[in-house]
Amino acid sequence: CASALLPSNPNYPFSLTRWYTPEACLQFKDHFHAQLRTACQQSTGTTGLKISKVVVVGDVYVGKTSLIHRFCKDRFERDYKATIGVDFEIERFEIVGIPYNLQIWDTAGQEKFKCIASAYYRGAEVIITVFDLADIQTLDHTKQWLEDALRENEANSIFIFLVGTKKDLVSDAVCERTELDAIRFANDMQAEYWSVSAKTGENVKEFFSRVAALAFEQSMIRELEKTTGHMAQIGTGNLIRMLSFACLYFAFL
Amino acid sequence: MQRGGEGEEEEEDGEDDGGPESALQKSPFQLTAEDVYDISSVVGRDLLQLSAGPEVPAAAARLQFSMVRVLEMLEALVSEGSLTEEQLRMERDSLRAELEALRGRAAAGSAQQPNLGPDKMVIDLTDPNRPRFTLQELRDVLQERNQLKAQLLVVQEELQCYKSGIISQRKDQAKELEKEPCDSNPSTSKDSHEKTIIKRLFSFKHGK
Repeated sequence: CASALLPSNPNYPFSLTRWYTPEACLQFKDHFHAQLRTACQQSTGTTGLKISKVVVVGDVYVGKTSLIHRFCKDRFERDYKATIGVDFEIERFEIVGIPYNLQIWDTAGQEKFKCIASAYYRGAEVIITVFDLADIQTLDHTKQWLEDALRENEANSIFIFLVGTKKDLVSDAVCERTELDAIRFANDMQAEYWSVSAKTGENVKEFFSRVAALAFEQSMIRELEKTTGHMAQIGTGNLIRMLSFACLYFAFL
Repeated sequence: MQRGGEGEEEEEDGEDDGGPESALQKSPFQLTAEDVYDISSVVGRDLLQLSAGPEVPAAAARLQFSMVRVLEMLEALVSEGSLTEEQLRMERDSLRAELEALRGRAAAGSAQQPNLGPDKMVIDLTDPNRPRFTLQELRDVLQERNQLKAQLLVVQEELQCYKSGIISQRKDQAKELEKEPCDSNPSTSKDSHEKTIIKRLFSFKHGK
């Protein structure tokens, strides 16, 4: 996996990648949480690397692997090869100067591998449900995929994304019509909606940057809350150690 | 009487050309029950003539002809019938043998898989692509593959660090990093490039 720098404006280092459509998005904020910003500005020292787990699910042949490969390897394979069981990629980010990794789990869409793939659903911080913009039936199945993935997780702490792939295969008119359905689905699923094309690369980087930004912010805030909770018992030393990633942000501005 | 009888027959078999006598000319394989009644009426009429009629010799000659013809027909029918019977018997025997074979195979099949229910599958052992590994084996292989892939990523990263000459100095730089004051002054582009490398080192150091 090549390193990817999150395309955040250097003048506004705390700015978030924007949503795809305001009608189905997880949050409207332009900047990271104030608490996070404060923490970054106050702390010193070093910290461990942050990793968030992302699970990608959806019907067979909707393009889950193609989407991930386009992002992680900037490649598009024309020939279809079914994923066996499960695969993964690790993508390195630098968000506001802090090293941050996404562990992206690519699951098989074939029914026969479901029992293997579902064992990897646990502990997800992000669930990406994928469907084919050119095959409306695959959209219908996204709710079931999400339900299966959520069963292994605590639903309230997970970011859910609904992604329509193969945007290059449909006309703008068809895409717009399908997006209306998809946005309805996304709202039911409490998901953020994106249309992408792994073949042309359209919106792929933006989408994963958005995923990374939201997951990063949440994992940092959770860390902060955890530290604050422990502070009374174990003093501020731990807090300083835990928040030390912020130092990196300033060092690498 | 004879004329009257003939007239009746002609009325009944309007389509026939030669009255009840024509039944005797027909091919035995095309005879119908109606034809048999016609022949019987012809023979009956001649028998009547033989016992009481004035034309005894003529009737006797006709009867002789009729008898010969009827016997010919009977012979043809009997030989045809026995031929058909033989054919049918052979056909029946071959069908019976086929049925036995199928029954035997079915019995053998159910003997091999006695509980072959709706969720069971028969595997052709000669098929090179037959399923033969267990789910657990696939799980293990995938698990191993994933671990190796993770190791590969770490090694690639490490190699990158060696290539760029960072790794030998990384302890010193990490120390420098810790000492670096946290101010928000924006750096020059050259500085930020150097620091990006350090940062990459940092992410590696804390990788796994």
